[in-house]
Amino acid sequence: MTRTPHLVPPPRPPSRRTLLRWGAFGGAGVALGPLSACAGPTGAPGPGTLTLGLNRSLVSLDNKLNQFEAAVTVQRAVRQALTRIGPGLRPQLVLADRFEMTEPTTWTVRLREGVCYSDGSPVTVDDVATALRMYGKVPGSFLLGLFPELPAVEATGERTFFLRTRRPVPGLDRLMSNIHITPAKANRPEELRSGLGSGPYRVVRANSGAGEYTLARNTRYWGGRPSVDTVRVRFVPEESSRVVALRSGELDVVDTLTPDSAEQLTGLPGVTVQEISGARMCQLFYNFRKPEGHPLADARVRQALTYAIDGTALVRDVLTGTAEEARGVVPLALQGAVPTGTYAFDPGRARRLLRSLGAEDLRIKVIWESGEFAGDTSVMEAVLDMLQDVGVRASLQQFEPGGDILKWRQGRGGDWDVIGNGYSSPTGQALTMLQGMYGGTAEKDRTGDAFMGYVIPRIERRLSAAATEVDDSERERRLAAVQHAVWDTWPSLWAFAPKTLLARRDRVRGLALQPINSYDLTAVRLEG
Amino acid sequence: MTTAVSAGRPSAVTARDLARATATSQRRGARFKLWAGAVCTALVVLPVALAGVLPLPGANAQDLSRRRLPPLSEGHLFGTDQLGRDLLSRVLHGGQVSLAVGVLAVLVSGLIGIAAGSAAGFFGGWVDAVVSRFLEAQLALPLLMMLLLVVALFGPSVTVITCVIAIAQWPEVARLTRSLVLVEREKPYVAAARVLGLRSWSVLARHVIPNVVRPASLVVLLLLAQAVLLESALSYLGAGPQRPFATWGRIISDGQDYITTSWWLVTLPGLVIAVLVVGVNLLGDGLRDRTRPRSRKGA
Repeated sequence: MTRTPHLVPPPRPPSRRTLLRWGAFGGAGVALGPLSACAGPTGAPGPGTLTLGLNRSLVSLDNKLNQFEAAVTVQRAVRQALTRIGPGLRPQLVLADRFEMTEPTTWTVRLREGVCYSDGSPVTVDDVATALRMYGKVPGSFLLGLFPELPAVEATGERTFFLRTRRPVPGLDRLMSNIHITPAKANRPEELRSGLGSGPYRVVRANSGAGEYTLARNTRYWGGRPSVDTVRVRFVPEESSRVVALRSGELDVVDTLTPDSAEQLTGLPGVTVQEISGARMCQLFYNFRKPEGHPLADARVRQALTYAIDGTALVRDVLTGTAEEARGVVPLALQGAVPTGTYAFDPGRARRLLRSLGAEDLRIKVIWESGEFAGDTSVMEAVLDMLQDVGVRASLQQFEPGGDILKWRQGRGGDWDVIGNGYSSPTGQALTMLQGMYGGTAEKDRTGDAFMGYVIPRIERRLSAAATEVDDSERERRLAAVQHAVWDTWPSLWAFAPKTLLARRDRVRGLALQPINSYDLTAVRLEG
Repeated sequence: MTTAVSAGRPSAVTARDLARATATSQRRGARFKLWAGAVCTALVVLPVALAGVLPLPGANAQDLSRRRLPPLSEGHLFGTDQLGRDLLSRVLHGGQVSLAVGVLAVLVSGLIGIAAGSAAGFFGGWVDAVVSRFLEAQLALPLLMMLLLVVALFGPSVTVITCVIAIAQWPEVARLTRSLVLVEREKPYVAAARVLGLRSWSVLARHVIPNVVRPASLVVLLLLAQAVLLESALSYLGAGPQRPFATWGRIISDGQDYITTSWWLVTLPGLVIAVLVVGVNLLGDGLRDRTRPRSRKGA
């Protein structure tokens, strides 16, 4: 038998395929090598540059239509008002050096000597008059709703003028902190795109679509020289991205933190978390446009539902202690706020009351816009579970920012029962917030401007009487009484006052966070 | 394949060469893909399908005092989320929504795609022109933007999302079916059927479509992974079904705020999606390789 010859194959040179494979590996290595640089932090701010990361897009440096709290810091660094709300929520003079109520309906104002814009032109009385006129012409302005009436300007000299109103407006000095002054010729009844103002910074680069701005020190600033040369403002919508960017040093300051982000950042080297009691009230507000006979039109049903909510657990576990359960109808940090009552958790009582009121088959639809307040979705899902525990068939509808929740709020979008809403007092006064929320009239509601349809004439009358009272102690007394009256109408399923949270790199110093969630950029300095 | 080293016939082809041959590695690869795909898919699909009968807490049952417990905590294999809900239960129940949307979407898109593609390929002419231009137009649109727009217009319900994904995916099936039908319609059996007097619709429905449905259905299977990913992407971007419905995208979206302190909230649901998508793709690839016609020298 012949053996099959065993043929030893000759050694082969590397095949074309092998060469190609080696080539591909080599090419990939060369191509991917530079990408390793991406592993490190990028875009770190320079030594003289402060970078702020906002969670909402700053579409304009004008506040006519766009005044969320964190934006105020940046807007007021470029444009200034006659006054501002300073430490202790007290009004401070800015462009004016005199702002006094000389008669119940007349305030005497004098512009500070030498105040000028970044182009060197002086701030004039005409600029103030034009600014008030322009703010008055903007439809749908949140700020306009804060004013019982806009004052008229009556010039009395080159720098002096009267602000006259038909009825007394005791908090006008605070309200005027929201009217930013711009040269009269450049002012329009719309959000201004130019960045000409009298503030310590001027705009050198702006991309309003992306919400990004670069501010440089205003060399002609009439006040003290700010210590930071350049301020970069970035819009970083994702909370986790803001946290990571702060940790890596890409951002210097992130504001309006969620409780969970604050927890993540607390104790990290190089990062400091600041908190302060806020001037904002977050509520699960009832829809007051319900027809007569609807269970929610009955204050007793509204009260019964509040017993379903375990506010202590929400504050402790969901908001991780960064909020205070409401003990009044406005945050107690505000001037003129008084405690009016507390929310109690008693699900058994909620069930019994609902049954006795014939509302055991109640269906509740809760709506809110994402980002309305920190930890909003967690709060809403927890509340949904609590309502279901007492037999209420609850559902949620979440709106994304830019959606049509405004229509729903105004009663033009669809039916709802409870809305998650945050409301601030940019004046630091309880009165401003009370008027905005509970001062609704039938006339305002026809245009959908009454806050969630809250139109109770006796409350509105008492609020108006308090608002026009010029005697401070009498006004406080009336305000306290009206707050108790509002509480008795059970306007909210639950409410809380979140603390204002901000995190900064340790190189940022002198940042004095205010309860209105803003700070003075001129006081901020960079070290290291 | 014939035996390379046959007795009595000298050959330079060794057993090692055979083992390294492309055909052998392709066959081995197909078998591996099939098994690995089946295992990965079953690993996700079976627990998702049985979520209702497994001894798990409710997907929406909250316990605020047990928030963000890590995996393997008492009674919580995947840990708990930011509201103290069992993460495994949420992932499995969320998977039911995501998979149901995915399966329904690919079924609908498969039906539309096969119907439109076979009509275009078989009838040609203006039918082909209309279908082809329509699918080209749709392929030219940015998919995710289009989906977000439609969801924003009609509201984020399971039905709308299913329809949207189905309509988004039909062009791929239609294109493939059209090309398969173009080949089939030239074959003698089609001519024979015509000679026998069958109407065009009958020829298409009774003879051509059965011959193309198998390869087309493999594409539909591959689209399932894409549909699940699309649904997750929509939920992640906030265009998913309303809360408290758990969906994979939303679980990840909610969990990303805790990524530095509670890694499991993002990682574990992400891993489940990855395993399913890889599994379905491997399974589809393996099936395609098995059904692919043997090579010329095969035999």
